[in-house]
Amino acid sequence: MLKFLRRRFVFFFFTYLISSLMIFFLLRVLPGDPARVIAGGREATAEQVAQIRSELGLNAPLPQQYVNWLGNFLGGDWGKTIAFRGADNRELIVQRSINSARLALVALLLSVPLSLVLGIIAGLRENKLPDVIISLLTLSVVSLPEFVTGLFLINIVALGWGRSKLAGALGWWFPSSSAVRANASFSEMLPALWLPAFAATLVLLAYISRLTRAGVIEELKRDYVRAAALKGIPYRSVITRHVLRNALLPTVTVIAISITWLISGLVVIEYVFGFPGLGSLLIAAIERRDLLLVQSIVMVSVTVILFTNLFADMAYAALNPRIKLG
Amino acid sequence: MTAPLLDVERLTISYRIGKRWIPAVRDFHLQLAPGHIVGLVGESGSGKSTVALALMRYLSSNGRVESGGRLAFAGEDLLSKSDAEMRSIWARRVKLAPQNAGAALNPSMKIGAQVTEVLGAALGIGGAEAEQAMLRMFHDVNLVDPEKVAERYPHELSGGMQQRVVIAMALITNPELLILDEPTTGLDVTTEAVILDLIRGLMAKRDTGVIYITHNLGVVAQLCERVLVLYAGEIMEEAPVEQLYAAPRHPYSLGLLNSVPRLGQSKADSRLHSISGNPPALAELTRGCVFAERCDFVIDKCRAEKPPLEQLGDGRAVRCFRWEEVTVYPHPKSNAPSVPRPTGDDSEASRRRGPAHRDRLPPIAMGGLRGVEKNTSPLQRGVRDEERVLQKDDRDTDTLMRVTDLKKHFPVARSLGDWLRGKKPAPIRAVDGVNLTLGAGQTLGLVGESGSGKTTLSRLIIGLQERTGGQLELLGMDIRNSVRERSPDVLSKLQMVFQNPQNSLNPYLSVRQALRRPLVKLRGMTPAGAEAEVAQLLRRVNLREDYADRFPAELSGGEKQRVAVARAFASDPDLIICDEPVSALDVSVQSAVLNLLARLQEEHGTAYLFISHDLAVVGYLSDVIAVMYLGQLFEVGAASDLFQPPYHPYTEALVSAIPVADPHHKAERMLLHDVLPSAQRLPSGCRFHTRCPRKIGAVCEEEAPPWREVDAGHAIRCHIPLEELSALQHSFLRREEIA
Amino acid sequence: MNPSLFSRQIAALRHFAAVLLRRPQSALGTALVCFFLFLALFGAGLAPYPNPNDQSHAVRVSPTLDIGALRLGEHPFGTDRLGRDVYSRVILGARSIFRIAGLGALISVIVGSALGLYMGYRGGWFDELLGRVIDALLAIPALVLALVLVGIIRNLDFEIGSWQAELADNVVLLVIAVLYVPVVARVARSSALDIKTREFVEAAEIRGEPTTYIIFREILPSVIPALVVEASLRFSYAIFLVASLGFLGFGARPPSPDWGLMVNENRGGFYQLTPWALDFPALAIAILVIAVNLMSDGIRRAVQKGN
Repeated sequence: MLKFLRRRFVFFFFTYLISSLMIFFLLRVLPGDPARVIAGGREATAEQVAQIRSELGLNAPLPQQYVNWLGNFLGGDWGKTIAFRGADNRELIVQRSINSARLALVALLLSVPLSLVLGIIAGLRENKLPDVIISLLTLSVVSLPEFVTGLFLINIVALGWGRSKLAGALGWWFPSSSAVRANASFSEMLPALWLPAFAATLVLLAYISRLTRAGVIEELKRDYVRAAALKGIPYRSVITRHVLRNALLPTVTVIAISITWLISGLVVIEYVFGFPGLGSLLIAAIERRDLLLVQSIVMVSVTVILFTNLFADMAYAALNPRIKLG
Repeated sequence: MTAPLLDVERLTISYRIGKRWIPAVRDFHLQLAPGHIVGLVGESGSGKSTVALALMRYLSSNGRVESGGRLAFAGEDLLSKSDAEMRSIWARRVKLAPQNAGAALNPSMKIGAQVTEVLGAALGIGGAEAEQAMLRMFHDVNLVDPEKVAERYPHELSGGMQQRVVIAMALITNPELLILDEPTTGLDVTTEAVILDLIRGLMAKRDTGVIYITHNLGVVAQLCERVLVLYAGEIMEEAPVEQLYAAPRHPYSLGLLNSVPRLGQSKADSRLHSISGNPPALAELTRGCVFAERCDFVIDKCRAEKPPLEQLGDGRAVRCFRWEEVTVYPHPKSNAPSVPRPTGDDSEASRRRGPAHRDRLPPIAMGGLRGVEKNTSPLQRGVRDEERVLQKDDRDTDTLMRVTDLKKHFPVARSLGDWLRGKKPAPIRAVDGVNLTLGAGQTLGLVGESGSGKTTLSRLIIGLQERTGGQLELLGMDIRNSVRERSPDVLSKLQMVFQNPQNSLNPYLSVRQALRRPLVKLRGMTPAGAEAEVAQLLRRVNLREDYADRFPAELSGGEKQRVAVARAFASDPDLIICDEPVSALDVSVQSAVLNLLARLQEEHGTAYLFISHDLAVVGYLSDVIAVMYLGQLFEVGAASDLFQPPYHPYTEALVSAIPVADPHHKAERMLLHDVLPSAQRLPSGCRFHTRCPRKIGAVCEEEAPPWREVDAGHAIRCHIPLEELSALQHSFLRREEIA
Repeated sequence: MNPSLFSRQIAALRHFAAVLLRRPQSALGTALVCFFLFLALFGAGLAPYPNPNDQSHAVRVSPTLDIGALRLGEHPFGTDRLGRDVYSRVILGARSIFRIAGLGALISVIVGSALGLYMGYRGGWFDELLGRVIDALLAIPALVLALVLVGIIRNLDFEIGSWQAELADNVVLLVIAVLYVPVVARVARSSALDIKTREFVEAAEIRGEPTTYIIFREILPSVIPALVVEASLRFSYAIFLVASLGFLGFGARPPSPDWGLMVNENRGGFYQLTPWALDFPALAIAILVIAVNLMSDGIRRAVQKGN
């Protein structure tokens, strides 16, 4: 187990280092002058460009720039924004991250239990009617792009069916606008969270339930399941004590991987719903060419993803007896 | 006979394939009384596991028992039972110990919990009471440290221990019927002997009726009272075990018994009997006898109508029209395969060689062990000195390959603790100083349990793995480490036949493509020349020329292995390494491949390094045998000498573990308990001392044993002086004979 | 009885198609994908108004499509607020999404498999290093990486204005290829690792075959089923990604008839005015995504059955 964890730690640091290198150099090495981009492209004067260069420390050699940048990032100094009237990058990102995390949390709380149940049902009834329905559902409706489902939800609740009774009833639960103040508290924000969270739930549902289904089907084929049934214990115990116990072990990892998936989804969902999270900030930052902000946002999301994976590995190792000796 | 515990008649079991129901097992019958053991023997595809599941009434959803049959257990009709009723029968009264014990245990549940769960379902007891019952049962199956075992997970147990747990789990409710489905398949012969011994002991004390399913005729002979021989889903013969082995009445039983090489049988004496052809596929069954296509006794009637299972009285039954004649010709001479053999006749070839061949001393032994002091034991000298002595020898002219002090140490990744303490972990010493010499045209057999390093040794020689140290010489040339560095000349001289026919041919290349490539690549042939040679090669391995256009999926296991042999011979090599080439094949196909290897060796003068866990098979094909244990050789000798005392205690254990296909051979076995120690933490002194039944004392733990030469070419590495060893072992054998 | 290798392959392909089309869901998905592919290839001839930016029509015309009467009418999907025919724009939009997603997926599969097979077979430091880079790349969410790359690259060159939309399209294509190369490489690598321990590969090594022969003749054929599945999966993800990028304004530039872009341009306040200008491209995206998913799921099942 120690060896396994050590490998995961080494993996974590390596991956972190390489991702940061890539994020840094992708934004610096590409043809073109970032300072000129920031200053406004071709219209910018040479003085403006020069000033931005020195402000950003772009005159130093690249490796040194990288070290400075990574040091600053790890030390918590993420610089000032250009796009948002000189606000502090870190404050902005932390605030938006909290909002995104709230959204993600609600989405996970909704989707994980639901998709596990659906996946288990589909797996136990492989190729029977429930499985066909669930598979068709996860393959079709649920795997639509987030903006399609998001807009559909908005249109049902707020716009198209505004005067129908259904929408009225739904509207009571789901306020038409998700546009909330960026610094609202969780309870203030909650009403506005449901709709985007529901859209995000759909994103995860397909992914987690299909992997759960595959896991259940795989375990059902194993010899020990037959051996357990031939012990004469009831079917229900065979499933709960034997099949699910092994089938759900990898789910920890699946959920961690789905975080990566979720972050991509959140970018679109936040944009569609005008939700003040990290994703909508990223789009704004890219549109306004705020390089430093973009770098920091990407670094934050990579950090989140790598940490979730690390925790998932640790949890998996703790739960799976087969890894202990490893 | 007491009232039958199990009474099965006219049982037909079908599987759905596509939209058709195809009968996989037809007209099966079986009577079993309490306290008796009946063996169910069959090759893969014979339907024996299907029978096991059907008897449990646990067929998968695409299988069913056809109506019209009878399946009665203790007078109750199982076929009409509901699921709930079956569950209560499964819980207590009928148990199945499945094939592959490791897979039958839940990997994420502690052993104890899995066993007590059975008690909960069967007897409704749990807690401390169940715990006590479990520990008693674990004690009965000879599990060392039952409390600790209960706290472990399945992957932390060895294969033998897993099998004991599964047997304990089956017997803990004291069932009336126990079905053992190949319980020792996949275990080492030493572990197999221990498990069989255990089963015999456990059953002697109980009233349980046992059905023992296996493909191994030796195991049946040692364990069962009655035997059913199953072929392609039908019973061919039923007989009390002594009678079956003494006088089989069905051509298939006869063929099976004759195709297994007996220990001590050699290629120089005779070819093995072999059953030509392959078992029929389920979909292509005909009206006639299922065995007709492969039968030496076949007449027109056999193809036209199915023979009934004829009761012969005395508990015997046989499904053959000509059973009376089978006794007349116990060894039919008409055993030539139906495929015409273009190159030489086997029997004639072996006659030509004659018995004189056996007197010829194998050059390997002479060269390899020259310089060992006879019978004097230089105990003070360490292993290293001994090895240096072993290397001092003359260069024999007909020495083909010389292996000197060959080593392979796999480095082990450092653990976190070691890393912090700056310690480097010991490497895994898979091969640790092996010296061998192999003469041209000879077979060197290499035996040992799995984990002994024999496969690694072969991979070092072929160059698929890089050696850590030592030299390799082929025809006097120093051979490089890995295949990548070797010249085409060396590559063409050294070829290999792999274990698993399933994987040894590329499924996407036709036989022609597979054979043409080495011809072009290693023999520099033109495409046209290669084309003719492909046909030639196929004929030489007894395959029709039109096989060239087949793909591996269209070949049976035995045919694939023939193609693999042809591929190895394509470059006209001097040495072919055969790593368990027949162990994945069915008995009836095995002997044909062994005969083929023996014949090709004669024709081409090719040397083999033959690795197998099956001592009889190795003995049959080898001129010289080396016994390997934990990366080192412990005995080397001519095949004819090796299986008689004096032998190394390890060899002795291996030999006595073989289940002999003769019910009268009631051997007192020398059992090896414990498992093979880790090759990372090797035992001090003699590596075998932790398991050696003949350990003499501290000297075994402290000092590496010396090589002692029995006679020219036969040497044993042991602390016990040869005379003593010989005396001990002869008296052991005599006791066996008396018992 | 000497069927050539070629006829065997045809038979295998026919069998594969039969298995794929036997399931109604897979057959439906495949048929729909073929329908969209047809639109992508011949859309210019099918659209009533071949110029997608023809603004000569009345603005905000309601759809004239009448399914009950099987009548298309003059503007089946209506016109948008600028007076462009939505029906023609939806038909013409099929081409760009197929070109970008299809080509992007194809490039990533070819490059990724070559890379992955080599990594898996050779192992060693090359595999180690590249493996780390791939892990790092995969730690960045695909859409985020795509947004950053497209956003940056698009802003780099201001020299020539006219081909910027063209460039932007190619940037997305390139980004998709870059994004999915590591994913495909990983799949190919693990397949190669599995196959390379098979004994027929060792037999080739014993013959002294060169690395390229072993990779392409011995290993590749066994990996192709897995790669086919991966290719269909990549294609479905690529469609998804192209639509999302278009919607976020990082795909095609206005006024091109990109479905995602059309959805974005007609949302919010405009939706109340011309809901059809959003609904129909959104529907097109939805149907295509579902169809591709059903097809790739069918391909996966068919390949698994074949094994």
